[in-house]
Amino acid sequence: MHYLGEHSFWSLLGRLFVALSFAGALVAAFFYGIQAFRTPEEREERPALGVRGAARWAYGLHSIGVLGTIAVLFIALFNHWFEFDYVWRHSSLDMPMQYIASCFWEGQEGSFLLWLTWHMILGWVLIRTAKTWEYGTLFALSLVQLFLASMLLGIYLGDLKLGSSPFILIRELPDNIGLPWTQMSDYLMRIPAFRDGQGLNPLLQNYWMVIHPPTLFLGFAAVTIPFLFAMTGLWEKRYTEWVQPALPWTFFGISILGTGILMGGAWAYEALSFGGFWAWDPVENSSLVPWLTLVAAGHLMMVVKHKKTAPATAIFLALLSFLLVLYSTFLTRSGILGDTSVHAFVDLGLNGQLLALLGFFTLGSLGIFFWHQRKMPKSPSEDAFSSREFWMFIGSLTLLLSAAQITFSTSIPVFNKLIGPEGLIPLLATQLAPPADAAQHYNSLQIPFALIISVLMGIAPFLRWKETPKELARRAVLSALLTVVLTALVAWGLELTAILYVALLATAIFAFLANADYWLRFLRGKWTAGGMALAHLGFALVLIGALISNAKKEAISTNITFIHKDFPSNENILLPLGDTVSMFPYYVSWRGERMEGHNRLFDVDFYEVDKPLASWADGERKHLKPSFQLQPFIQMNARMGNVREPSTQHFWNRDIYTYVSYADLRSESEKSGDWKEPMEASLKTGDEVFLFNTYLLHGDTLVVQDAAFDPATGELTHLDLALSLTLKGMDGTRHPIVLPYHLDGNNVENVEVELADLGIKIRFDGVKDEAGTYGITAWEKKSNDPPFILMQAFIFPYINLLWLGSILMGVGSLLAVWKRIYRSLNEGKK
Amino acid sequence: MKRSSIVLLAVVALLIGALLVTLQDASVYATFEMAKKQQPETVTVVATLDLEAPMDFDPKGSILTFQAIDKEGQHATVRYNQPKPTDFERSEEITLTGHFTDSAFIATEILMKCPSKYTDGEGVNPDIIYTDNQPSS
Repeated sequence: MHYLGEHSFWSLLGRLFVALSFAGALVAAFFYGIQAFRTPEEREERPALGVRGAARWAYGLHSIGVLGTIAVLFIALFNHWFEFDYVWRHSSLDMPMQYIASCFWEGQEGSFLLWLTWHMILGWVLIRTAKTWEYGTLFALSLVQLFLASMLLGIYLGDLKLGSSPFILIRELPDNIGLPWTQMSDYLMRIPAFRDGQGLNPLLQNYWMVIHPPTLFLGFAAVTIPFLFAMTGLWEKRYTEWVQPALPWTFFGISILGTGILMGGAWAYEALSFGGFWAWDPVENSSLVPWLTLVAAGHLMMVVKHKKTAPATAIFLALLSFLLVLYSTFLTRSGILGDTSVHAFVDLGLNGQLLALLGFFTLGSLGIFFWHQRKMPKSPSEDAFSSREFWMFIGSLTLLLSAAQITFSTSIPVFNKLIGPEGLIPLLATQLAPPADAAQHYNSLQIPFALIISVLMGIAPFLRWKETPKELARRAVLSALLTVVLTALVAWGLELTAILYVALLATAIFAFLANADYWLRFLRGKWTAGGMALAHLGFALVLIGALISNAKKEAISTNITFIHKDFPSNENILLPLGDTVSMFPYYVSWRGERMEGHNRLFDVDFYEVDKPLASWADGERKHLKPSFQLQPFIQMNARMGNVREPSTQHFWNRDIYTYVSYADLRSESEKSGDWKEPMEASLKTGDEVFLFNTYLLHGDTLVVQDAAFDPATGELTHLDLALSLTLKGMDGTRHPIVLPYHLDGNNVENVEVELADLGIKIRFDGVKDEAGTYGITAWEKKSNDPPFILMQAFIFPYINLLWLGSILMGVGSLLAVWKRIYRSLNEGKK
Repeated sequence: MKRSSIVLLAVVALLIGALLVTLQDASVYATFEMAKKQQPETVTVVATLDLEAPMDFDPKGSILTFQAIDKEGQHATVRYNQPKPTDFERSEEITLTGHFTDSAFIATEILMKCPSKYTDGEGVNPDIIYTDNQPSS
């Protein structure tokens, strides 16, 4: 059957591209596999360029499949082809074009595609640069791609659903098959629901959502590469050599994934109203954990590179990082987090497939790892206590422990599934719930780890391989002394008293100073060599910024109403419209609200007291001067729920972060639904009557616009009147009103005219007698309390250190990548 | 003893310690009945909102008072010292974290599950489409 206006061809084309990328990955895995499992001697004997050529061709076809899939999906989104289920679900006509990209990766299918694409691109870099490592790494990568592409297939093998296609048409959805409308060839014209899509989740209509997912997924894809090298190292028995080509990739991954995670934090801080940049949400945690293990893996790989032995832990962590990315994918996409996270994906019914992906790579890679473990070279001697490698090992273990703790707490829903009362092996009598106070729980456990890490970062520049000469310790004296002074100053200045916080502050400041000192004094600020120092001092700044802005985060919007001893005074300040309310150290005033697109904006003015030394006595309001204005808003979305979005004033040393926590969101007409008993009055032109004791109503003119009589009876059949009145306020304001009156046969139509800003409506009831007296009815709104909003406001001090630190960390680790590429390029020349 | 063994022991000890603390911090899913018995302790209750009972929101102190029904069908008055969450009435299920006092369940955190928060599982509802658009004859 030919469906009118339906882009069935494109849907088919898209599916063909997915199939091509799947088949291409399969063939590439086959040909690369042939070479990968030959010993180097066999490869020498049979150069098998044909095999490599075939494998590359297959990988090329796979790449074309991926690119084609993207192209078709974008074309469908751009052209608003709402017969595509994915387009209908994730976009709408009224959505600004720049968010097309967000629609692309809002759904699970799109984000799989994004991941697939980055892998595919990095794969080409490997083909160009990996030389002898090409066979093994590309073989493993093709297997990964095979699994990921299968997630997009959307075919049924019997009852088994294999993947979920982004190109499925709505009429092809299982729920709709066989329904009568799917048999209409013109169903697209007939059914208005196809004219517009559901639209993008308002939470995601944000520029961060345009850049955060691609960065994060590039980071995830980069984590895969060390895994590929480690696997190849295992089955080619090149147990220590693999670290050399894998190291730049590891630092690349650390940089990009770290940036991606912090971008997520920035997004949460700028656009979500959960009051901070990090909430220890399971979804955030599960992207942080692979980063921690990747950092640990990177450091251990450096140790292996220098010692040329004892690679077991480095290999294990490189494998683990990738496996944790898969685990994170499983957690966020299987719907298992449903109860515990605010932003997990919806279950697409792919759990079996996700488990297969996780299981295959976990069992496969760990199985091979343990098989080879005994054959790996062991370190002949213990590392010296003063050696760099010993402390790097300790640091990596600390990171691993930190990752283990986060994973454990995040996995509580998984434990419920496994050993909960309704789980596989019912060991627990009741379901475990996540910690009641997540921030407190994670902070108290993670700060000790952060303490150790920052001390290690601080001494790192002064340690040497094998053994550190004693005189090097002297280099750290300056930083240590400065640390004591600076920590005392900062702790005193910020009134930081909690002992754990002060300790972390001290160690982080030490890490910062030691690395800055090292970079400036001993490396003379050279960029190429400064990667390590910059990355470390950047991370130290992230810690300092996070610590200060969190520990000294201050709610200034205190509600002072005493309620009950069970309720501490809370953090929602009541702002009646137009009032100026004290909110130390500011005065705030809510001026009004307005609509801008889908957003209801609340204009809030902040004032400062003009006299610095003034006391907070009453007379002060005279000395207020405007300081700044904020527009926290609520995104109105009838379908997905309204979303409160914050507005933040940035200063160099602190942010004032606000959002509206409660507002009466009923529309104007709903709010004005309640009227008092009407008041009737009659008057003539020139007369005046009192209205509601506040207004004077003046009768201006009565105009007969049109009239018609029945010639037979002389009765009025048609009449159009317009009554002009003026409503005078006590303050001298004048509001002209024109009231209509239509008579048609016996039907009278006299609509009420509303003066919204006065809260009054009036109706013309017609002429009462010959003398031209006319009757009116007037209503006044029930005396509402003045409108109000509740607002929360926080001061985040020195949060800019966090952002500055994350940039430095990203740049620093990229410098470490560059240093290695630069070196290998120069080695090639020699 | 070798230094690596010492490190390993320390790691295992730390790990076990951290896991025990985690388990201690983990709260349990309870019913109102259980929450009442363990009165001062903080628990997590999965419940639904009783839409027939009156709901009161006092903006001056921003206190929300409502009735909830737990999975065993027991009712309880809940007080929440925060503004009313948007679309509270539309919630399908609410996860309350808090504790009981003599008068009511004091919730410190409410997580809502809304039927259509992220995507409508249904897609285009064919029934509505079809009945709304009978070809006009």
